[in-house]
Amino acid sequence: MDFDFSSLFAFLLFGVTIGVVYGIVALGISLIYSGLDIVHFAHGEIYMFGAFFGLVFSHTMGFPYPVALLLAMVCAAVLGMGIERVFYRRLTKGGGGYTVAGMGMIICGFGMSIVLMNIAFLIWGAAAEPFPVDLGMPFQLGDITLPKSYALTAVVAVLLMAALHYFLKKTKLGLAVRAVAANKDIAYLMGINVPMMISLIFGLACGIAAAAGVLIGPMQSVQVEMGYLMLLKAFAAAVVGGFGSLPGAIAGGIVVGIAENLGAAYISPNHKDIYAFLLLILVLMIKPSGLFGIVARVKA
Amino acid sequence: MLKVSGLSTGYGKLQILRGIDLNVAEGGIVTLLGGNGTGKSTFLKALSGLLPVWEGSIEFDGQKIQNLPPHEIVRCGLTQVTQGKDAYPAMTVEENLKLGAYVRKDKIAIAEDLERVYSFFPRLLERRTQLAATLSGGEVQMLVIGRGLMARPKLLMLDEPSAALAPKIIMDIFATINRIRKSGVSILMVEQNVRMALLLAEYGYIIRDGVILIKGDAKDLINDPNVKKSFLGGTVANSTHEIKA
Amino acid sequence: MSIFNKNFIAAGMAGVFVAGMAASAMSADIRVGITMRMISENGQRYGQMVMDEIDMINESGGINGNMLKATLMNDECKSDKGVANAIKLINQQKVHILIGSTCSSVSLPIVDITEKAGVPQIIPHSTNDKITKKGSAWVFRVPVSGRYYAGVNAKYVGENIGKKIAYLCAADAASQNDCDAMQSQMKSQHGADPAYVAQVQEKEVDFRTHMQKIKSAGVDGIMIAALAETMARALTQSYEAGIPASVRRIGSSSASNSPVPSIAGDAAKGVFFAAAYAAADSRPIARLFNEMVKKRYGVNSPDHDFSQAYDLVRITEIALKNADLKLDDENLAADRTAIRDAIANVKDYNGLASGPISFCAAATPQCRDGNRTAVLIAYTKGGKDYKTEVLARVTMPIDFGL
Ligand SMILES: Nc1ncnc2c1ncn2[C@@H]1O[C@H](COP(=O)(O)OP(=O)(O)OP(=O)(O)O)[C@@H](O)[C@H]1O
Ligand SMILES: [Mg+2]
Repeated sequence: MDFDFSSLFAFLLFGVTIGVVYGIVALGISLIYSGLDIVHFAHGEIYMFGAFFGLVFSHTMGFPYPVALLLAMVCAAVLGMGIERVFYRRLTKGGGGYTVAGMGMIICGFGMSIVLMNIAFLIWGAAAEPFPVDLGMPFQLGDITLPKSYALTAVVAVLLMAALHYFLKKTKLGLAVRAVAANKDIAYLMGINVPMMISLIFGLACGIAAAAGVLIGPMQSVQVEMGYLMLLKAFAAAVVGGFGSLPGAIAGGIVVGIAENLGAAYISPNHKDIYAFLLLILVLMIKPSGLFGIVARVKA
Repeated sequence: MLKVSGLSTGYGKLQILRGIDLNVAEGGIVTLLGGNGTGKSTFLKALSGLLPVWEGSIEFDGQKIQNLPPHEIVRCGLTQVTQGKDAYPAMTVEENLKLGAYVRKDKIAIAEDLERVYSFFPRLLERRTQLAATLSGGEVQMLVIGRGLMARPKLLMLDEPSAALAPKIIMDIFATINRIRKSGVSILMVEQNVRMALLLAEYGYIIRDGVILIKGDAKDLINDPNVKKSFLGGTVANSTHEIKA
Repeated sequence: MSIFNKNFIAAGMAGVFVAGMAASAMSADIRVGITMRMISENGQRYGQMVMDEIDMINESGGINGNMLKATLMNDECKSDKGVANAIKLINQQKVHILIGSTCSSVSLPIVDITEKAGVPQIIPHSTNDKITKKGSAWVFRVPVSGRYYAGVNAKYVGENIGKKIAYLCAADAASQNDCDAMQSQMKSQHGADPAYVAQVQEKEVDFRTHMQKIKSAGVDGIMIAALAETMARALTQSYEAGIPASVRRIGSSSASNSPVPSIAGDAAKGVFFAAAYAAADSRPIARLFNEMVKKRYGVNSPDHDFSQAYDLVRITEIALKNADLKLDDENLAADRTAIRDAIANVKDYNGLASGPISFCAAATPQCRDGNRTAVLIAYTKGGKDYKTEVLARVTMPIDFGL
């Protein structure tokens, strides 16, 4: 039987285009991890809030889609900073990682995820809301149809990655963020306002998650419970890419997306999520620092 | 310029410092000496705001700074170079130095100071685009001192700048510290290398178990039999090298 | 996967609603216990409809001069709560008849309780085959049994659409059930093996790889068995993948839920599913019912869970009228038996349901699965103001699926 290359291309394309969404959320998770040594388990819910913000701005208030995207990012960033200030600060002060406070942070993250879901439920209800965005006719690549929303997502992912990279590597504030991520006491001695930087890290990570939420809106409906599966996928992406590594997060997302789709296409179509977690376990066994985790060892 | 009176602090409930009085006059070097675990680093941490002050006061440049947040103390002109040679390993040499100037906005002066640091430590200039992780121990010590200078401090606090370095490098470092002082920066230096520190400093304090045991002019202390008895020993302390200015 | 599932939604809504009239001096009360899943907006409305209809019976003089005293409890679709409710209603409230429940997983264990206690149980919404296969003499089912539904879809699909069918099956119990039943019916009725099967996570986001493979497989139809939101997403993506409308989309039972057309929009057009009631039904009784539901509960195009709640009360009313009741403490068991026998005597009740509902005395599925006619409903328009049409009405043989 002839091997169908056009289908293979389609599966790869699908993998990449959904993978970048995992990657964007993973980017935020990695950013928080590299900054505070904690895994933020409420990040899926921030993503969900972002999607709802986007829906409110674009549908209820009638802003154009790109504007709604930016506004949703800003709102989610403010929400994230608020949560950090009010709830997480006590805990992050005591340190993250393997400390007792770090454990508290993880539990606090879980609790926050449930609280945020309930708040969203009270505001928007349990029903799924459609989020149609008219971006025009899909791209036709030979036999394959690629809705513009996926292409847009990929573009935004690359832009976010690049902007974050520029911010961290080329700006003074970015330098300070990296310093806080690597060593908080020394950062203090450089005259850096460390608590403010931690807020900023949270805000950035949450803004990025919101972008993913608004981008995926047109591809699925927006719903209170949408964060959970995304968190798992993004977590897998972050681990595969090397926890704490920013380029690794996007790359990890793409690898997870491709693995899922190729697995579903050529191994067994059932439960394609399994491939994401199989990959996660494999990476943890064989290369715990992640496929792209060279940078993750030395932080910042 | 720095006036510490009755300073007590510790970690959690564990008290380490019990009423320390210490002064640093403008333009000189004051050294704080003591054995391992006597509370020297703890003292510097309290001055920098990394530890809460339990009792006593810290006056710097006419301003009470106890319990200000650490980043604001740096803005007052009090900078610390810690003992751990804590450069940022994943950043380049130049990024580390620029981070030192984080509190400053005067771009031109910062560029000048960068040149000045490179003139103090030419090795750093050669390695400016290298990651700090790839530097040797002596080079890291140069880097963190240089980074401290980049804040253009009024008072630079150095925590054991000679620790774990080869004698040749130690001489270089002390020589540079001398040059730094001459360029107008006051220095509070914590050391275990008693002889060298006292040769360099004008005034010395000796701490033990969280209290100041002996204090006095450096040239007196260096000949004080009590000081000799408790500290002066070991190869480096007996070294006959001269410090070149 | 559902550690974050809908439980939190239920938390605030547990509670007991008591309606009915105070007992008048001459006559006694007929006590009716109800346990239902009251956790979504519509779920609450179904329970409310049962209560409202009972109130209206009381307002027009009760049954043979006796008032109905109804107690409505929420089981949140949890079997332990449902069982606790049933025990409470039977032993403390001493109800003459028990109505419940919505979810099959709750109705099933209650069947054992009503059988042991000797209380007639009448099922408003559960479709699982096993409920009537247990052989209890006390259970009656108003909705169409799952064994008929599976056959209806496969019969229609094999005869009118084709035999090459692809299946996307979400991991929740109801969808799995629908998906398996459809596959085995396609096999047994038409000898057709599935052209493609994929198990997917409930809440899956991305179906494009599946759709690509289904497209290459060149099928006659795609069955999408999933809860409403997931189904809507899969429908949309099936069109994005370029699978033409000529490939029919077959929905599982949750296709009747309004999020499917409102989220999927145009992609819902042509999707069909089996149900026990069609809002597009042109009979006057159905027109009036639609209007009444709209006025009372603000719901357009009510689904079959509304009609079944309504039919259930009517059937109960008929049975209670025909039963000779003493309504005192000594005769509680005798009254319960009389009500059971009266329900078993209901024949060819023609209400809102897709077909006549009949019961009989034997404790068999043939006697106790009252409705064996399903309608196939198709969406003719998606969006929030969706429209449906009746594709076909299919009555299955009484022994089908046994
Ligand atoms: N983070 C901490 N928590 C609890 N105790 C500490 C901590 N850091 C230091 N100590 C204790 O405080 C005491 C003084 O420590 P400090 O670091 O100030 O000593 P030092 O004089 O700087 O010694 P060295 O010359 O070895 O650097 C020691 O007994 C040490 O064990
Ligand atoms: Mg020390």
